Amino acid sequence: MSLFVITYYTLLLAASCLAAYFNKRSWFLLLFSLTLVSFIVGIVGGPSALQSIAIVAGLLALAGMVSFAFREFLVAIASHDLAKELRTAPLTAAFGMFIIFTYAIAGIFAPWIAPHGEAEVIASAFAPADGEMLLGADQLGRDIFSRIIYGTRNSVGLALAATLLAFIIGALAGLLAATKGGWFDQFMGRFADVIMSIPSLIFALLMLSIFGPHIHVIIIAVAVIYAPRVFRLTRAVAGNVVVMDYIEAAKLRGEGTWYLIRREILPNSTAPLVAEFGLEFCFVFLLVAGLSFLGLGIQPPTADWGSMVRENATLISFGDITPLIPAAAIALLTVSVNFVVDWMLHRSSGLKEK
Amino acid sequence: MVKSKDVLLEIEDLQIQGYSDEQWIDIIKGVDLTLHRGEVLGLIGESGAGKSTIGAAAMGYARDGTRISGGSIEFDGMELTTATESEKRGLRGHRIAYVAQSAAASFNPAHKIIDQHTEAPVQYRLKKRMEAQEDAMELYEKLRLPNPEEIGFRYPHQVSGGQLQRAMTAMAMSCRPDLIIFDEPTTALDVTTQIEVLAAIRDIVDEYNTAAIYITHDLAVVAQMADTIKVLLKGEEVEEASTKEMLDNPQEDYTKSLWAVRSFKRPQKSRPKNSEPLISVRNVDASYTGGVKVLDDVSFDVYEGMTVAVVGESGSGKSTTARVITGLLPPSKGEVLFKGEPFPPDYRNRSKDQLRQCQMIYQMADTALNPKVQISEIIGRPAAFYQGLRGGELKSRVDELLDLIELEPSKYYNRYPPELSGGQKQRIGIARALAAEPTFIICDEVTSALDQLVAEGILRLLDRLQKELNLAYMFITHDLATVRSIADEVVVMQHGQVVEQGPKEEMFKPPHHPYTDLLLSSVPEMDPDWLTTLLEERGIDNVGEAASSDIDPEDTKVQGTNI
Repeated sequence: MSLFVITYYTLLLAASCLAAYFNKRSWFLLLFSLTLVSFIVGIVGGPSALQSIAIVAGLLALAGMVSFAFREFLVAIASHDLAKELRTAPLTAAFGMFIIFTYAIAGIFAPWIAPHGEAEVIASAFAPADGEMLLGADQLGRDIFSRIIYGTRNSVGLALAATLLAFIIGALAGLLAATKGGWFDQFMGRFADVIMSIPSLIFALLMLSIFGPHIHVIIIAVAVIYAPRVFRLTRAVAGNVVVMDYIEAAKLRGEGTWYLIRREILPNSTAPLVAEFGLEFCFVFLLVAGLSFLGLGIQPPTADWGSMVRENATLISFGDITPLIPAAAIALLTVSVNFVVDWMLHRSSGLKEK
Repeated sequence: MVKSKDVLLEIEDLQIQGYSDEQWIDIIKGVDLTLHRGEVLGLIGESGAGKSTIGAAAMGYARDGTRISGGSIEFDGMELTTATESEKRGLRGHRIAYVAQSAAASFNPAHKIIDQHTEAPVQYRLKKRMEAQEDAMELYEKLRLPNPEEIGFRYPHQVSGGQLQRAMTAMAMSCRPDLIIFDEPTTALDVTTQIEVLAAIRDIVDEYNTAAIYITHDLAVVAQMADTIKVLLKGEEVEEASTKEMLDNPQEDYTKSLWAVRSFKRPQKSRPKNSEPLISVRNVDASYTGGVKVLDDVSFDVYEGMTVAVVGESGSGKSTTARVITGLLPPSKGEVLFKGEPFPPDYRNRSKDQLRQCQMIYQMADTALNPKVQISEIIGRPAAFYQGLRGGELKSRVDELLDLIELEPSKYYNRYPPELSGGQKQRIGIARALAAEPTFIICDEVTSALDQLVAEGILRLLDRLQKELNLAYMFITHDLATVRSIADEVVVMQHGQVVEQGPKEEMFKPPHHPYTDLLLSSVPEMDPDWLTTLLEERGIDNVGEAASSDIDPEDTKVQGTNI
């Protein structure tokens, strides 16, 4: 038996014994069942299977440590009230925030971080990774690592702009509809129904083939597709607020619609809207990536994760995972945003943990 | 009624903590309680005194965010603090039952009443479903619900509030528990309905020799129900004594202050001679979106500096009248005059100055103040909006207003409504109304959600402000004690009509309109025998809804007083 296997079992058993000694029931159950599973996996798969278990566990522990440290870091630098909120964040949310933070840094400082230009051809097509190129070259000989860094800026920036626009249109219309009521509400509601009845991808393809695949067309098309969802949510949330007595008091004071929306209704509907913003951002991101994959999104030579998957797709038949890296970047961001959103939803719904 | 004297529930040195601001704070600081079989214990105190928390602890239950941190709870020989969850679950509903404050919120609206009633006995395998249903009907009959055979097959929303509260009591009795915990069961009800529920609860508790903990903040109610009374203050016991002794001879100062609450009374003012009424409601009819008439030919006047109390049961059109005056509900007929000038019927057509003159204070301070806006802005906004105050001027005006409502400006200036207590919130509501510098304020049940001590403070404040600022109040209430203490004139409403109106002194002297009479005689008094005497006088079937629908429209007094 190799030294690795011996160390592996020793560590696991020692940890389970410690957990049992300190009465940490759930930890003990987790560790000891892992030990039992390892016996079977070790017999069937040999030391290499145990090694992959150890690597996965190590990665998870690493992610946990990073999240924990990042949360403590945020708590330390935040103001008093914010720090109190942050302390309630679960580790998943801290992990999400850390990933979002990393992406933001990568996107903002892309030209300084990326070793090469985004359209710069520096090697032969599909050149393998070497000291110069971290992830190798793409089908035109451009550095994939640099393009991923630039892609953060382009893909995330585009999705962010489109989501923001969708929110401005949708939230404003929803708040107005809830405050005004009557025929305006009816009209906006039916108009939203009409837009929602068209399949979103087909609608986007239609718009892009009519107006051409420019950045602003993509932003507006995506915003129009997603605004009705925001409209519906905002109208529902604001509908619960406008019936409160303080709104009646403000109306009786003679306040205008704009004041009602800005000072009375909006502060009471921000929590679900922020949560929805996170969710919609993921959907928009996926739609933009999908459009790029179909060749109607951001046009070359601008780097974009969706089109990078398509351009390098042939490599997958040679057993190379390069095209999956931009896809993984998309997945990681989506998951991270959802972690943060979950936490916010949990807070805004007022659910308390037992 | 002979009551056996063995101990059913024994709580010793109970300590409960609540989690707030990331630390555990003591809510209940060592309370002892002994309850014998068939005994009714009244728990009274202000809100936040820990009454409901103790009530829940008697079932071994700690609400979310609280924990039982010390002491022992022994129910019929079983220690609840160490019992497992499934042991405790076996007791609840079966041997200990709970009646909540709002029956409407406690019934599941998607199931019929009788299905919810029979759930516990069927679940515990005490009865077959059909037996349980028959038993339910029997209980409904005992609780004097109309149509006991049929009422259980309705859904909760098809039954009135008072009936629902009795159905809830019946449900609590379904397994014939040893102990029932009543958590403010009549607080949300009118005086006339309250009597029915009280009488029903008392009978059923007597008949089955059930022990009960009766939680309330209304002393007059607890005096009718309880054998012994325990007074709580901030999680600690003040004193405990038998009802009679407690009422006649309270020992502690705090208890005495509770007893003295209803003492506030101010001299009645009379109408100024030869002057125009400030607000005059003339022959107003109103309905919601063309439905049934909610107001029918309502007329009354409010003079400057005077308080007009509008009384009646819920649904009698009191709040609708307020909505007509403020312009939220334009009347279908008739008009509202302000100093002789007609007010535009819709508030949207009123000028800023007209809107300013007439302000409103709401019943639920929780929903009347925007939780996300600072106190300084809530109060400052009307001042900025109407008087155009800015910067330093605005700040000093807000300080002045906070002083006026007896809250320290520096402490409250930057706080948010959820950080305040109920009474403080209501004071902020008053300050917001005052900030507009009105001449007329509508107070819509402003004290009904508050404890007596706090309500008393609000009434005194309103009275002082009236003297200082010469305000006119329209005081909507169903609490006649409030009317006695603050009103100059009284308007009695029933089914959207004014049945009687006049100066307060006259209104509280016979002869009355039969409806006024009913309202007056339904207000609980401190005498522990009051309910018994009343039921003997009126007859058991002639209280509450039954009595109010029995009023004979041809009665001479009705004809004589109707305006």
